[in-house]
Amino acid sequence: MIGRLLAWLAAHPVLGFLGFFAVFPFLVPYKALATQVLIFGLFALGFNLLYGYTGLLSFGHAAYYGLGAYGTGIALAKLKVGSLWVGLAAGLALAVAGGVVIGFLCLRRRGIYFAMLTLAFAQLLYFIGFHLAEWTGGDDGLRGIPQLPLTLPGVAIRLNTPLAFYYFAFALVALAVAGLKRILDSPFGAVLQAIRENSDRAVACGYDITRVKLLSFVFSALFTGLAGALDALRLTVVPIESLYWTTSGQVVIMTLLGGAGTFFGPFVGAATFLVLEDRLSLFIESWPLVIGAIFMVFVLFLPRGIWGTLQGGLHGRPRA
Amino acid sequence: MDRRAFLGTATAGAAALALPAVLRAQSKDPVKIGFPLPLTGPFAALANDMQRGATLAMEQVNAKGGVLGRKLDVLFRDDQLKPAVGAQRTKELIENEKVQFVVGGLAAHVQMAINEQTKAAQVLYISVSQSDEISAKPDTSPLTFHEALNPTITGRAVGTWGVQNLGKKWWIVYADYAWGKQINAVFTDIVKKHAGTILGATPYPLGNPEFSAHLPRIQAAKPEVLLAVTPGADGVAFTKQAISFGMKKEMKILAPLHFLFYAKEGGADLFSDIYGGTSFYWEVQDTVPQAKRLVEAWTKRFGVPPDAYGLYGYSGIMEVARGVELARSTDSTAVASALRANPVYDHYKGKQWWRPCDNKSFQDMWIVKGVPQSKVRGEWGYYDVVSRIPANEELDRTCAEKGHA
Repeated sequence: MIGRLLAWLAAHPVLGFLGFFAVFPFLVPYKALATQVLIFGLFALGFNLLYGYTGLLSFGHAAYYGLGAYGTGIALAKLKVGSLWVGLAAGLALAVAGGVVIGFLCLRRRGIYFAMLTLAFAQLLYFIGFHLAEWTGGDDGLRGIPQLPLTLPGVAIRLNTPLAFYYFAFALVALAVAGLKRILDSPFGAVLQAIRENSDRAVACGYDITRVKLLSFVFSALFTGLAGALDALRLTVVPIESLYWTTSGQVVIMTLLGGAGTFFGPFVGAATFLVLEDRLSLFIESWPLVIGAIFMVFVLFLPRGIWGTLQGGLHGRPRA
Repeated sequence: MDRRAFLGTATAGAAALALPAVLRAQSKDPVKIGFPLPLTGPFAALANDMQRGATLAMEQVNAKGGVLGRKLDVLFRDDQLKPAVGAQRTKELIENEKVQFVVGGLAAHVQMAINEQTKAAQVLYISVSQSDEISAKPDTSPLTFHEALNPTITGRAVGTWGVQNLGKKWWIVYADYAWGKQINAVFTDIVKKHAGTILGATPYPLGNPEFSAHLPRIQAAKPEVLLAVTPGADGVAFTKQAISFGMKKEMKILAPLHFLFYAKEGGADLFSDIYGGTSFYWEVQDTVPQAKRLVEAWTKRFGVPPDAYGLYGYSGIMEVARGVELARSTDSTAVASALRANPVYDHYKGKQWWRPCDNKSFQDMWIVKGVPQSKVRGEWGYYDVVSRIPANEELDRTCAEKGHA
């Protein structure tokens, strides 16, 4: 039964995503938590494209998350653009621009040097954000992001209830998930996985892996930036911590917990982490101990993460 | 009975008969107050104090029959000193727990993230830690109240006292972030206004308290007063280094705020002879009868005396309860209007009041001075009370300066 369900999901991951997340807000204690899971799932999805599928470990994904959040936040709160779509576009543009520049520079190095460079650039942005208080609000955070209605041709939908905002985020995240599926199914997606498995062999096959890696980096920044932009709209504040290294660390943990290199792993990881945090912290102050212990168990004994283990059994092959 | 009155009574009666369960549930449901605060992280000691205060206030209100005959229920949440977590927990409290009011937040950036959520949900919020922005445009709202002191009031009050009593020539060491910069600016301003001079200022990165390169330069300038804007653990490191350079003997050291629990942790000798401001220190009970009652109840309940932030939490809950009773309603707008219309209150240390134009609380504060270990009174007598600074609206910026029309 579970095996058949998993097989169906492997064949139709986007439909599976749509079906599950359409009812997700009614499965968790409250709607704002569902939205948080959705947004961090997207964040982890962006990270997973680079780490899980291309094999590049970035320790600085807070950069694109923060750029997306500040891009949208500054456009709406400081420049008063007055349109949700323009605000979102500003966040995405800033995140993509950051991805192009930082990716171009970091991809000149491999392994630990690559990881350290991504971290360094993210911290650089953190300090810029900290000191550009006129624009970013500095360590008080950016406030005053208006809750604009969603304008589509002919209608304007208010997003001020938790459920309305959830389905707005759901629509955009679903687009991103469909986009990721399209990328992975394309020849480009196959090259990404070839680079992950053996980059020398990919070069020998005649692929320009520097260009492919950069494109993967930029797509990753795009998904991550969308997550940041949505979070700015959700909280109507952008804390300076959005750019801090702990944010980068959190997304690494979520992805590994859920299963790196699997389609649903990032969402499973985000949901596990956030729902546990939300519920455990009501009872015990040292809830990070519990999550840390679970994380260690998975890294040590079940390195495929929750979804990877479900999918492939303990030793089987991954299916999607 | 005329026709209209009859119809009114009949409708109400019919509704009461038709919906008895609903009505009964409403009248017995507790009045819920959400309280996000950083129970984990570097401010945990202050947050625990605050939680004790809010708990005691809830217990005292409930012991007297609650509010409007309903129990008061305070729901605490750990915000981890992170704005995003504070915002998320506030959303959870409002959406999931259906809290009618929010009190809490213990850091400027977290309270402003909380404030954005309460503004959006039209829920009354009483902020209980320092911030200038929270009661100024554009952050504030008609439902945002600010119980704590703020950097402007603290700086002007402590600065004026310092320049009049400690000396005219100053040097300022401050942590280079929002609160440190604000405090530095306010002190600089007030010292100059009272014909003092700022010989120099040393900013340093928050959380990176290495001063040995700066201290000889400060000593050479021979200031009479050294203002140390060194929050939390930085203050312990700074004071140790200043002592080892012999600076305590050469100049008066002043801190904007003293915290009883840090003094206990660092030891009395560390903070001895250092002056500082506070919105409350438990030994002011010797001169304030209200404080005596509260300190006794508190110490009996928790085994430790209250400090400034604990009492902000206490007073915040008490003000919600008072507002609900005044308004005869749990509607946030009605409660806010009732508090503005009846602005004077006195929960623990004498008269306080809300300034109606910006919902800012005004209250007395004190200057205290650390005593050496040999003179500590009992377990918690770490300070001598030097002076009381009465509440005064002129210590804050005016409402016009804060952007209120």
